[in-house]
Amino acid sequence: MKHFILFIAVIFLGLFLAVLNKTEPGTASSSLPTLRVFGYASFTGRWGPGPLLKEQFEKNCKCKVEFIEGSDSGILLQRLKIEGESLGADLVIGLDQFDLSKATSEQPWRKLSLGQLNVYDAVKPALANSFFIPYDWGALTFVTRKDDLSRLPGSLDDLLDPELAKKIALEDPRTSSPGMQFLYWVIRSKGEEEGFKYLQKIMAQAHSFSPTWSTAYGLFTNKQTKLVYSYVTSPLYHEIEEKRKDYLALTFTEPLPVQFEFVGIPEFCRHCDLAEQFINLMLSQEGQKVIMEKNYMFPVMKGVMENTPFEPLMKVKTIETFEALSSGEVDRLLKRWTEIRRGDLN
Amino acid sequence: MLVAFFESVKYVGHLLPISFLRIFLGYYYLEHALLKYRGDFLTRPRIADQIAEWLPASHAPNWFKIFASSQMIPHWQTVAFIILGLEFAVAISYIVGYVVRPVALLGVLLCVTMLFISGPASEDLYKTFLAIHLILAWVGAGRCLGFDYYFFKRRRGLWW
Repeated sequence: MKHFILFIAVIFLGLFLAVLNKTEPGTASSSLPTLRVFGYASFTGRWGPGPLLKEQFEKNCKCKVEFIEGSDSGILLQRLKIEGESLGADLVIGLDQFDLSKATSEQPWRKLSLGQLNVYDAVKPALANSFFIPYDWGALTFVTRKDDLSRLPGSLDDLLDPELAKKIALEDPRTSSPGMQFLYWVIRSKGEEEGFKYLQKIMAQAHSFSPTWSTAYGLFTNKQTKLVYSYVTSPLYHEIEEKRKDYLALTFTEPLPVQFEFVGIPEFCRHCDLAEQFINLMLSQEGQKVIMEKNYMFPVMKGVMENTPFEPLMKVKTIETFEALSSGEVDRLLKRWTEIRRGDLN
Repeated sequence: MLVAFFESVKYVGHLLPISFLRIFLGYYYLEHALLKYRGDFLTRPRIADQIAEWLPASHAPNWFKIFASSQMIPHWQTVAFIILGLEFAVAISYIVGYVVRPVALLGVLLCVTMLFISGPASEDLYKTFLAIHLILAWVGAGRCLGFDYYFFKRRRGLWW
């Protein structure tokens, strides 16, 4: 028994130390300072805006930009909390409005002063937080293929149609930002008690609650589901990148929730000035254009979206007030959601 | 100890074929654990994705589904670390033949968990592994071409 416990302890301790000392690829020593940007996969990946922004930034900064990939935006905070300073991030990209309260309570952040920004009116309330700056935003709704459904849902209640049983790809609100947005949308539209009753019913309609948006969207594109909770701009991606016009973002009688994505500089940053310069690039006309075209989200700065296919999409009916729930409130809602989910599995 | 390692072939030589199976399985686990360690298994929620995708269709009992959904998905990093740790433990134990019996039982536990959270494509593989782990635990496969023989000779008992 003693041998066994010792053996297991040594293995896990060894693995723990190995993980602690594991260097990220590309961290080889260099004379140039390296700005480490921590962001979610669809931002930092080769198809996202990250590589183009990196290229533009490296042209002028006499530095290197290195991305640390954090999967879904909902998972960024989890990693930041677990790994903290050892993550070595100078800049964190991709927190949404529900993460802000938690982020500020768990981690010290640098104040950002970027002067007067010429942003859209819809974005102005999101500028209230002095530690984080929004760099893009988007409305969320359900996306489907044109011929997949005999009747298109037009309200939250329509999603309870038996035709859609086990055919909706949803995201887990505990790990995914769009998942949290859906939870908020239901609560906001129906009130808390009615909202949770509704969520209980939607459990039967969901194919699964994926931990990330990309997994949920993958289920949809693989035709395992008929609906997916995604962005109003998602069909535009298929239209531009794949020349396919059969994807459709549904309109709902309930105003759609809006997700703002924020960037912030943790207090433990090593190249804080470079991080601030990178934010300036993200908010410049060129940066915003890259983000819009690669991230398929609306830019926050005026003068970028005009006369592009994105402009008409901005006119969807959305929730007008900007609400950044406190971390306690988010935890309470997630706890109630978990109870319902657990009940459903029973 | 090294003498006992090779001496075991002489005294428990009937276990030699199964020792090769043990070492092969250890090598297989080591290869997979190293792939996971070098890749992004610990940094990206691959395991959470896998659980979310296959749990609804899994034959797992309800208590496991509830546990997986409420604990394993949100704490995917801990789960990934434990799985990787167990894989390394099985790999090293099987290759050197040390504490094979209890580690094989951990292997059984690992296989059952993976069986519950994996798709049908890997179901047969995990069932086969489950059977192999059980047999290795049953016969005490570390006693031939392994350090377990050294301890078995001196202490006897169920652990070796």
